[in-house]
Amino acid sequence: MALNLTINTSNPPLGALLAAEHVKGSVQVSVKEGNDTQLHVSDSIQFSDANSISRYLARVAPALGLYGANMMEQTEVDHWLEFSARRLCGQPGLTVALDELNKALSLRTFLVGHALTLADLSIWAALQGHEEWPRQSESFSHVNRWFSFLSSQVPFTSIGTKYTSKKA
Amino acid sequence: PKSSSSTTLTGTTDLDTLLGKDLGALRDIVINANPAQPPLTLLVLHSLLCQRYRVLSTVHVHSSVTNVPPQLLSCLGPRHADSYARQMFQLGFTLIWKDVPKLQMKFSVQNMCPIEGEANVARFLFKLLAPYPSDPALATLVDSWVDTAFFQLVECSAKERAAVLRALNSALGRSPWLVGPEFSLADIACYCCVMQSGLASSAPTNVQRWLKACENLGHFACVVQFLQ
Repeated sequence: MALNLTINTSNPPLGALLAAEHVKGSVQVSVKEGNDTQLHVSDSIQFSDANSISRYLARVAPALGLYGANMMEQTEVDHWLEFSARRLCGQPGLTVALDELNKALSLRTFLVGHALTLADLSIWAALQGHEEWPRQSESFSHVNRWFSFLSSQVPFTSIGTKYTSKKA
Repeated sequence: PKSSSSTTLTGTTDLDTLLGKDLGALRDIVINANPAQPPLTLLVLHSLLCQRYRVLSTVHVHSSVTNVPPQLLSCLGPRHADSYARQMFQLGFTLIWKDVPKLQMKFSVQNMCPIEGEANVARFLFKLLAPYPSDPALATLVDSWVDTAFFQLVECSAKERAAVLRALNSALGRSPWLVGPEFSLADIACYCCVMQSGLASSAPTNVQRWLKACENLGHFACVVQFLQ
């Protein structure tokens, strides 16, 4: 099964692109540039918001554990997906949200469980695409540590350079 | 005609499998909700949980709010006669009316971060009742309708709501329930949000028919009561 992901180049869905990079060993995803973001699953099912695309990709590659290892981790992943979409993306005044994120990361390497999940991908993507984040990063040491840790790894490096420069 | 199996939620009743081993203390789901936005979806899921499990339900009022209407204080039913014996119950459901900007759930706090948002708490509670569809596309469709219900039906402009009603109508022209042949969380969330937004009377034909079908299941009596 080959999936087609079309992305809006003026506002690339970084979280969904990261998810696509992670699952590409398990399922074929081809990325095309266009005007609107959409994942074409079948003629009757398409997903056009970044969280749905990420959820679907995590579910077609369950062995990667991107949606968490059990029901409680799934619920935490859901929490962070909404947090990234509603509290970070396009929201001015990041301070309150960053403070919450900083507390959550104080004793953690990854946001949920002990491995990478959609929570890390979506929050990293929201910060990477946010113009306020670089200025605020010094004040939130745990978020900064976690952000740098992820940023140094493939595919975060490649997605970061490829799409963020284009946006600017 | 629909078979009865498509309208009842069938799933595992083994909480140990779903939530990990029981360590002796009551598994208590604590929800902080703002009385200005009663979480109708969670009330529906609570009554479904009570049909499946022995649930110890309690309502409290936090000092941050005053004048909570009586119907909010009794929304989880009468106080349980055996409430002193917590070990007799499988689940605790503690609803606290509190001045919170966003609904919040605390459960298993040593392992889990507090969960924000009615949509996410609803996903959690529903999984205690029935598994999501095993097909990744259908499971994601359920989640996508839940997001649409909470973020477009409740919060957006009249124009966007009308667009959602049209999308609901066309999905309900293809199948009896929102996501294929099975009643799911998508139906619960969209039903509650359509009713809460007062859109029922202006809804197109298929949506009207589906609202009736939902009501016939008997799961939504508390919502209808609430909105009167």
